[in-house]
Amino acid sequence: MKKLLTTILSLGVAASAALAADLSLTATKVSDQLDAINPDSAVWSKAKFATVVLYPQTAIEFNDKEANEANKDPKGKKAQVAAVHNGKEIALLVKWADGTKNVQGIKCTDTYSDGFAIQFAGTTKKSQPLPYVGMGSVGRPVVVHLQKATDKVYEPNGNKDVSTQINRQQTGFFGKELAEYDAKVASLANTDFERVFVGEGFRSLTEIKDKSVKSNAAMKYDNKGWIGTLARPLKDDYMNGAGTVAATIAVWDGAKHGRNGLKLLSSWIAINLEGQKANAAVVAEATEAPKGDAAKGKAAVEANGCAGCHQIDKSMPAGYMAPSLVNVGGYSTAAYLRESLIKPSAVVVPGFNRNAHSNTPWYNLEKGKRVSTMTDYSFLDKATIEDIVAYLKTLKAEVE
Amino acid sequence: MSKRQLAMVMDLNKCIGCQTCTVACKTQWTNRNGREYMYWNNVETYPGTGYPKNWMELGGGFDAAGDLQPGVIPNLEADYGVPWDYNYESLTTQGLLDNTGAAGFHPHVSPTWGPNWDEDEGAGVFPQDNYFFYLPRICNHCTNPGCLSACPRDAIFKREEDGVVLVDLDRCQGYRYCIAGCPYKKIYFNPKISKSEKCILCFPRVEQGLPPACAQQCVGRIRFVGFLDDEESQVHKLVHKYKVALGLRSDYGTQPNVYYIPPTESPAKFDAEGKIIEGSTRLPIEELEKLFGPAVHDAIKTLKAEMQKRKETGASELMDLLIAYQHSDMFRLDNNYYQQVAREKKRNPLAPVDTRYIAGKFTTKGHGQVLFSGHTTGGHH
Repeated sequence: MKKLLTTILSLGVAASAALAADLSLTATKVSDQLDAINPDSAVWSKAKFATVVLYPQTAIEFNDKEANEANKDPKGKKAQVAAVHNGKEIALLVKWADGTKNVQGIKCTDTYSDGFAIQFAGTTKKSQPLPYVGMGSVGRPVVVHLQKATDKVYEPNGNKDVSTQINRQQTGFFGKELAEYDAKVASLANTDFERVFVGEGFRSLTEIKDKSVKSNAAMKYDNKGWIGTLARPLKDDYMNGAGTVAATIAVWDGAKHGRNGLKLLSSWIAINLEGQKANAAVVAEATEAPKGDAAKGKAAVEANGCAGCHQIDKSMPAGYMAPSLVNVGGYSTAAYLRESLIKPSAVVVPGFNRNAHSNTPWYNLEKGKRVSTMTDYSFLDKATIEDIVAYLKTLKAEVE
Repeated sequence: MSKRQLAMVMDLNKCIGCQTCTVACKTQWTNRNGREYMYWNNVETYPGTGYPKNWMELGGGFDAAGDLQPGVIPNLEADYGVPWDYNYESLTTQGLLDNTGAAGFHPHVSPTWGPNWDEDEGAGVFPQDNYFFYLPRICNHCTNPGCLSACPRDAIFKREEDGVVLVDLDRCQGYRYCIAGCPYKKIYFNPKISKSEKCILCFPRVEQGLPPACAQQCVGRIRFVGFLDDEESQVHKLVHKYKVALGLRSDYGTQPNVYYIPPTESPAKFDAEGKIIEGSTRLPIEELEKLFGPAVHDAIKTLKAEMQKRKETGASELMDLLIAYQHSDMFRLDNNYYQQVAREKKRNPLAPVDTRYIAGKFTTKGHGQVLFSGHTTGGHH
């Protein structure tokens, strides 16, 4: 009976969430092993697909002239997302359109790979508020799984493989011996560019190399689009997934010089694990539709001088003082926007090193903590805050 | 800003463009593993396109307001030049020509560009007023590095103890914003390992009291190395006391720490009949001003005055310095300084990693760093 009730409850949450677009989805319970999952695995036929919109991440403009030119007018993209779990592991599938397959060459200096990443909220005492969508924030860690379509990568492996670093022409080998040398070098290369990071804000992102996370990501180009899959344990040192797992999805387009922040990014998605009690609060945070009046919010944004530091629409220059808000509504939750207004230092969006724009510091260090230079708007009345949140949620790029 | 700063001074009057420095660096650091195309040290002909091609026009650095400027990431083939290799193997089965009479021994690509493609071309009309000089370049280990400022991953750091700018390969994810951000284009993308790499000022040598390989091997003895705050060092005397050594393109705002004695001597021009035009000089001062800023006028004045003084009195400390009698005077690298730092900080002085992250700041177990000496450090357990 108790079990039945739980199921009904979780279904109820899922149903109400479905009304707020696909920011909540259900991971189908399966009995299959998931650790070897790939885009062709049969298990995906059991999964329910949802549509998630990915928006261009434009908080910060990077200093690559050609990349900025290629991303002048970025558009959002729709991705198909499915999830399954077996009680121990969770697996996600992301399918998105990409007209060109880009694989970073090992003999080029200016080519970039297509890729995708799935970010999970890390373990914290309280599961809310969710971490900042741009790779976490101080005290609210995230785990990021990254898969890129790359050719061979020869990591400096620290194993003193110095003899195989020599240029083949300098080995003194010919014929069969040279072929053997080439084969040995190739065997040391890493052909799967799969990485796992933990971070509290994107500059802090640190690769997990101690094998404390077991995961498996794969990607496949087919029919003018990519399918990416990832399997990882629901629980490990970095994550404690139960009931509802919060995740975001990012994709990179190599043709547009995509890497790092130059990507398309979803807002937080609540993934309810079928058969477990959903965390209604997390679902609510991910799916919350703002209740304020966006038109009033726009007026309030103008009246409060937000544009003094933030780029609000494209007609304004981007500036260096504060993150651009042009697409902020696409990848931010209402809760994050609200928090940023009344507690500006809760998340200080990290960008370039601060000395990249030393005259416009967007934070100061006080006792080792980053204190935002943004005005604290907690003096505004609640209704105005809600109106501003509603307006900011409307700021997003067109979707392809 | 680091506590101390290592600096190098290069005397352009004495550079003969022999590329011994380039080769010393290449054989030591960049002849393998994806670094083949890189020249951490190069010597280019000025005026000329330089390496990579037209690097001065590729952006990066800071504007007067202190904002990092966008830049371009050079292309391997068009801007750096593909380091071509020959099919040596073919010589075991055929001669220089193949069976058809075509070249059997040939480069693996048909080269279209390479470093020093325009070597010794210079500017002006031969023989009337042509001119050029050599410009050796390494990473400037800037006080305000454009590469460091551009990195969104905190993967580039400037060492506290000597101001050497290094890439933490563990943190680098190969985004390449550093390359766009460096106005000197002296940080390179290694496509084989998908990470950025650069001149390390031979820090493993420096820590043992030896100068960087490029400076040690220089046959013209044009390079001086030492700490800028060490008043006994020749770099201090050349930069601060006599003010004859100037940063290259200081207008980029990165505060470079490689300094140049500007070329003061150039031959006179010839007229149409091939006769010397008395009092003329081939090297336009505007070009030197572009490279070294307005201070170049005073620097040249000082150099000429000291030269005169030496002629007349036989004594000039500056001229003695520039003659570069002894390596031991040219390079002041106190070995004990590094040992002391290592003792104070309780770490291996050779650690080529950013110590801020060595303890695995955000990972539960930390990832120990494998150091040159083979043992592992770091990681909180």
